[in-house]
Amino acid sequence: MLHTLLSQRAQDAPDTIAVIQGQRRVTYGELEQHASRVASFLVRNGTRKGDRIGILSRNSPEYIAAYLGAHRAGGIAVDINFQDSAREIKTIINHCAITTLIAENSFTDAVAGAVKDAPSVKTLISIERRARACGVARQKLPAPVEYAVLGDIIGDAQETYTAPELGAHDIASIIYTSGTTGKPKGVMLSHENIMANARSIVEYLRLREDDKVMVVLPFCYSYGKSLFTTHLLAGGTVVLENSFMYPNVVFDTMVKEEVTGFAGVPSTFAIMLNRSNFRNYRFPKLRYMTQAGGAMPPQHARQLTQLLPETKIYIMYGQTEATARLTYLEPDELQKRSGSIGKPIPGVEIEVVQSTGTPAAAGQEGEIVARGKNIMAGYWNDPEETKKVLKEGRLYTGDLGRMDEDGFLYIVGRRSDIIKSGAHRISPKEIEEVIHEMDEVHEVSVVGAPDNILGESIRAVVVLKEGRALDVHQVQRHCQTKLALFKIPKEVLFVEALPKTSSGKVMRFLLKNKLALYRAAKISPEVSL
Amino acid sequence: MDLKAEIRKYIIENFFYGQDDGSLDDDVSFLGTGIIDSTGVLELVSFVQETYGIRVTDDELIPDNFDSLNKLESFIGKKRATESRERREPSQPAISAN
Repeated sequence: MLHTLLSQRAQDAPDTIAVIQGQRRVTYGELEQHASRVASFLVRNGTRKGDRIGILSRNSPEYIAAYLGAHRAGGIAVDINFQDSAREIKTIINHCAITTLIAENSFTDAVAGAVKDAPSVKTLISIERRARACGVARQKLPAPVEYAVLGDIIGDAQETYTAPELGAHDIASIIYTSGTTGKPKGVMLSHENIMANARSIVEYLRLREDDKVMVVLPFCYSYGKSLFTTHLLAGGTVVLENSFMYPNVVFDTMVKEEVTGFAGVPSTFAIMLNRSNFRNYRFPKLRYMTQAGGAMPPQHARQLTQLLPETKIYIMYGQTEATARLTYLEPDELQKRSGSIGKPIPGVEIEVVQSTGTPAAAGQEGEIVARGKNIMAGYWNDPEETKKVLKEGRLYTGDLGRMDEDGFLYIVGRRSDIIKSGAHRISPKEIEEVIHEMDEVHEVSVVGAPDNILGESIRAVVVLKEGRALDVHQVQRHCQTKLALFKIPKEVLFVEALPKTSSGKVMRFLLKNKLALYRAAKISPEVSL
Repeated sequence: MDLKAEIRKYIIENFFYGQDDGSLDDDVSFLGTGIIDSTGVLELVSFVQETYGIRVTDDELIPDNFDSLNKLESFIGKKRATESRERREPSQPAISAN
């Protein structure tokens, strides 16, 4: 288990740096002490085995201490996206009945708004490094909720507690992911799931104690989380930068800290290559780069190889339901197998299955199905949704692909309408439901529109009720009050009718192409406000 | 409308969806408050280039130049001055050996 591994590292190499953030250096010895004190507080505060401990924070050493402390206390760590709105946070808290919420102080408003209507929350731990006499959050909290400060907890030498016995199949973590129904789904990952996936990634990336990875991806997503689990396993270091808004700042840190690894999604590399000073940097220690969340366009692969001839580039594929990773492409194959997501990682079996249930032949398309110790235990409190994707111990990914004669896998599409924008997977249904709350709206459909940087951006196509009016900003502002920033439609188009099939189903593929949409809806583009 | 007011108007329109809630002070950090994300800053760069006729180089895309209204105003002012000086005083062509 991760937390026992941390104890081992702290014993073997207490002074090795585990986390770097800005000027801060946190050793394995300190991280162990912090996680242990979080666990001590949780147990003494009434946390029982299996209780859900929510974590709402940007990446920080405190996030890791909270996560591993929750495990050590026998709790289930629930990662909540810090970009979520109060409404979304409340939905998650209530869905899995979080008892203790560990939240960064900067998210006070969202937390106070969410906790107000979440009776399961008994304690709020504010992530502040030093105790403040009167926290803002405390003033806004309902009376029954106990308030504590993380800085006090990790500064408290009192550690006497009895941690519950844990087994490999006990649930360690819940990560929420967008569901096709618009309702979030809590992916349950066991201790075994997390360890199996981390071991496999460490093996194929050949991670070692002297590896240092630059982390710009959030820990609340499985890809970001895998960076710290794998480096903990390897005994390496994570270097945290919480924004890729100014890439040159991230590159400066990479040079200064001599990082050996970098992980991004397609939009990270698009920004890196098209709008940054990346070309003028030299990264003599950068051993590898990884990309997951989509294939790498051939021109990006060529440019990266030219700019960093000594750096290996790994293309990878996975899902939260598989802890993080399912396949990877060996760097030597990048030019030869353009567009491929490679072969299964160690310990994972992959098959492409036709809709009839029979295995697809080489080159034939079908659904990608996976088996391995990294496959989730199911969705929290949702046996129906679990049954749809977990069948006979195999994960039906919903991704459509084909395998060539040499066993290399290619993604060709998705079975669902999930929008992939930057590092996010977004349910169109969830946004449609929010826009539909507006009294003026008769019908709405949300699709991903092609975007050079993000892969897809969000487009809402709205039909208004007769005689009613709305403008683009009104729709966006309504969404802003209910949804995370990355879910707000970039584009809102108003049309007289949605293009539909004869059976009344919205033709989403037409909505993705603006001109085709106008032709299908038999209206001129000027109708758009 | 002065330069800072124009940029403010652009940010309110595009990142606050047209509603000025009064939180956009001249010194407020776009990065620190999460007003603008990594693709938003690219849109802001395009706006600045097109509106003020300046060319933002890749190494100028740093918080010191872009991360608040005041920093942007100062950066654009300096760029305009530099670029107009360069137009007035083009660099001397290299002297031919012949």
